[in-house]
Amino acid sequence: MNPNPQSSDGKHDDDSALSDFLASLMDYTPTIPDELVKHYLAKSGFQCPDVRLIRLVAVATQKFVAEVASDALQHCKARQAAVVKDKRDKQQKDKRLILVMDDLSKSLHEYGVNVKHQEYFADSPSTGIDPASREE
Amino acid sequence: MNNGGVESTKDMRKGEDVPGSSLGIPKADDFGRSVSKIAVAQICESVGYQGYKESALEALADISIRYLCDLGKNASFHANLAGRTECNVFDIRLALEDLGDSHGFPGASEIGNCLVGSGIVKEIVQFVDTKEEIPFAQPVPRFPVVRSGKLIPSFEHMNETPPGKHIPSWLPAFPDPHTYNHTPMWNERASDPCADKIEQARQRRKAERALLRLQQRLVCNGSTGTCASSVLDAKTENIQEAGSNPFLSAPLQQGEKDVSEVVLPAKLSNEVSKGDHISLLDAFVPAIDAMKTGPSDRLDGEKTFLPEKRPSVQFKFKTGKKILGESLDLSLQRKGERSSTFLLPDDERDDKKKRAEFILRQTTEYPMELNQS
Repeated sequence: MNPNPQSSDGKHDDDSALSDFLASLMDYTPTIPDELVKHYLAKSGFQCPDVRLIRLVAVATQKFVAEVASDALQHCKARQAAVVKDKRDKQQKDKRLILVMDDLSKSLHEYGVNVKHQEYFADSPSTGIDPASREE
Repeated sequence: MNNGGVESTKDMRKGEDVPGSSLGIPKADDFGRSVSKIAVAQICESVGYQGYKESALEALADISIRYLCDLGKNASFHANLAGRTECNVFDIRLALEDLGDSHGFPGASEIGNCLVGSGIVKEIVQFVDTKEEIPFAQPVPRFPVVRSGKLIPSFEHMNETPPGKHIPSWLPAFPDPHTYNHTPMWNERASDPCADKIEQARQRRKAERALLRLQQRLVCNGSTGTCASSVLDAKTENIQEAGSNPFLSAPLQQGEKDVSEVVLPAKLSNEVSKGDHISLLDAFVPAIDAMKTGPSDRLDGEKTFLPEKRPSVQFKFKTGKKILGESLDLSLQRKGERSSTFLLPDDERDDKKKRAEFILRQTTEYPMELNQS
């Protein structure tokens, strides 16, 4: 692959863009704290002393979660719009946007994650709880 | 945590609480999970949500943790592929592309693309520029906390030479031989039977004297006092002093009410070293007092000789009659301690007196047989 002279210029631009971005990362504080990211990255074998890369990973994760959440929000709003058409009374109650399992599973499905919500449980609320700690 | 006034509606399927918290079993990753739950909730709030269901938030937090771990794993994989142990920005970028493949990102289909101009990175740059900064709600300490483990000292540390040439000196030292060697034990003292018997007799006399002194003291006090050293007695005393309790009625005078005979197990154990002596003296107590007060009181049959005292309750429910009916021989002395703590009914007191006198006779006539040790 012979790099064209144009792309080499583009490379320099990209280089500077990337380094600028990394520098700007230091100003931006991601919502996910650095210590948490460091902990989980250390658990999975990621070794890097550079703080900027930690921030980069944190920002990437934040972007991912924000995308999933916004997709779920779209589903939630679509559901509410469909409901409001039927009954005007419910409009007041449904104004709150709640993150629900159904919306989450629909939006995660597009990302290849299958999350299923339990429809119901067999008998009592204490099913499946460790009998030692069950209150009796 | 203040999530902008967000209220969390408990999920319908859980009866009371989240199973994890109600079980109370702390898992290793609890701290990380709860911190990530807070972070994810903050992100949801920034997206526009006003509330969340507990299960949905937990699922999303779990997924974001997995995403983080996957990023790390992929990045380290790419670094190892390139023959490095430490990751750099290109590794992260490749990992991001790997994770974003399923969803698609601009520039995915292009080949020969410079690593730096990746579409994913550009998206992230856009994200950072457009999104406003939301710092995490609370300061997070460094975790996990590393505790320095206690190491077994090495040979060098112990100034020992390893027993074999093949063992380097920086390895942990062997344990001391006395921890694993079993050596036979002998009684070093020369046994002198006569002196032993004399010593035993002397100790017995000493114990009897002490017991008599105690009895005198108790008689003088004339109270229903309990042994200070016995916790159970203290408990019964507390029960007596508690509220609405028949024991709280005005104290009965001596002899007003029939009460079972008393024993003083704990106090005796403090004074006398040998267990057999305790059992004997326990049985002696009524006999000694019977001899003290004389035969006249025996005619009453109902009065108590000793000051009333609530027995220290160690209930082993065998019927008293059965115990008394058992052999009045030497084996009784071993069981004597047990039987003497029974709560005997009143009509058995006469039997007990007879037994005690029998034992007393035996001790005076056969001092040898009592040497049980």
